[in-house]
Amino acid sequence: MAWLLMGAIFLVGLWGVMNKANMVKKVMGLSIANSAIILLFIYYGSLSGKTAPIEGTGETMVDPLPQALMLTAIVVGVCVMALALVLVYRLYLKFHTLDMREVERRAWELHD
Amino acid sequence: MKSRRLLAVAETVVLLLTAFFLFQVLHGEHETSSEIRDYMVENCKEETGALNLVTGIYLGYRAFDTLGETVVLLVAVSGVLFFLVPTLGKDNEENLDS
Amino acid sequence: MKKTSILDLISRKLAPFMLLFGFYLLAYGHTSPGGGFQGGVVMASGVILLVVAQGVKATESLFPALSLTKVEIAAFLAFLAAGLAGLVMGRGFLGNPMAQVQASAVPRVGMVLILNLIIGIEVGSGISLICLRLFRNE
Repeated sequence: MAWLLMGAIFLVGLWGVMNKANMVKKVMGLSIANSAIILLFIYYGSLSGKTAPIEGTGETMVDPLPQALMLTAIVVGVCVMALALVLVYRLYLKFHTLDMREVERRAWELHD
Repeated sequence: MKSRRLLAVAETVVLLLTAFFLFQVLHGEHETSSEIRDYMVENCKEETGALNLVTGIYLGYRAFDTLGETVVLLVAVSGVLFFLVPTLGKDNEENLDS
Repeated sequence: MKKTSILDLISRKLAPFMLLFGFYLLAYGHTSPGGGFQGGVVMASGVILLVVAQGVKATESLFPALSLTKVEIAAFLAFLAAGLAGLVMGRGFLGNPMAQVQASAVPRVGMVLILNLIIGIEVGSGISLICLRLFRNE
């Protein structure tokens, strides 16, 4: 039943990006969906063994390749979140609001 | 308002479609044997010298991906520093009707 | 933020142990769970505890931002130099330059250990630099 939980976390993140107007909440929804996908990869990589992939333990080991790939994915996710939050901060300094519909409306007015 | 109801219906449709496709992918049988694990258990200690298999992968067999990831970190740090320099000690000074 | 004496005391006593634990995860990355990225992030979280609890000025006197920038650039260039050392010794870019030694001797695993240390220093200094710069704007 673990796949149900991970699908639910991904859908919660996707709903947060679509439905909320506050820009910080949108970025946090993206981060939640990122965590759900990483958990998914690690869970399905662990079905083929019983213990951690370190030499010296007795039983069969799990697959080490998804874990090595997810290390890179986690670091890239952190970098994307940092840059997104800095962009939201610069938008707040210029327009003094965090509501995305307000920012869109005022940006169109500035453009005309 | 009519456009608000239309937006709510569109969001529900998108969420249901995503849930349907996720269910199709995640539900079935998944195999429990892995060739990479068999190869790694035999050969990783002689070829890289690390006892931890995950370290042997991301610093031994696939060290080039780790080089690319350090580049990503460097670019992200310099991007954050670049965007935050003009705002040091100057917040709430930019006005919209200036 | 408003300072209470319990926050001040705990952050001053706990931060060196967090830095030490991060360095332990770095140095033992090839035999137990851990490695470059995990140890680097734990070291950065030790610095972030000092920034949050003591203020930016006190942490800047210990870890100046200019020194962290130089350390990060030096670590990236050292990674490239380690790759070129593998190329010079005839094993390809980022190959193991000491691969003629037997499998159970100590210098065989030296390449993995050196790369772990370089990556840990780079990740730790990068993330604590982001945090220092974000906190200065308040």
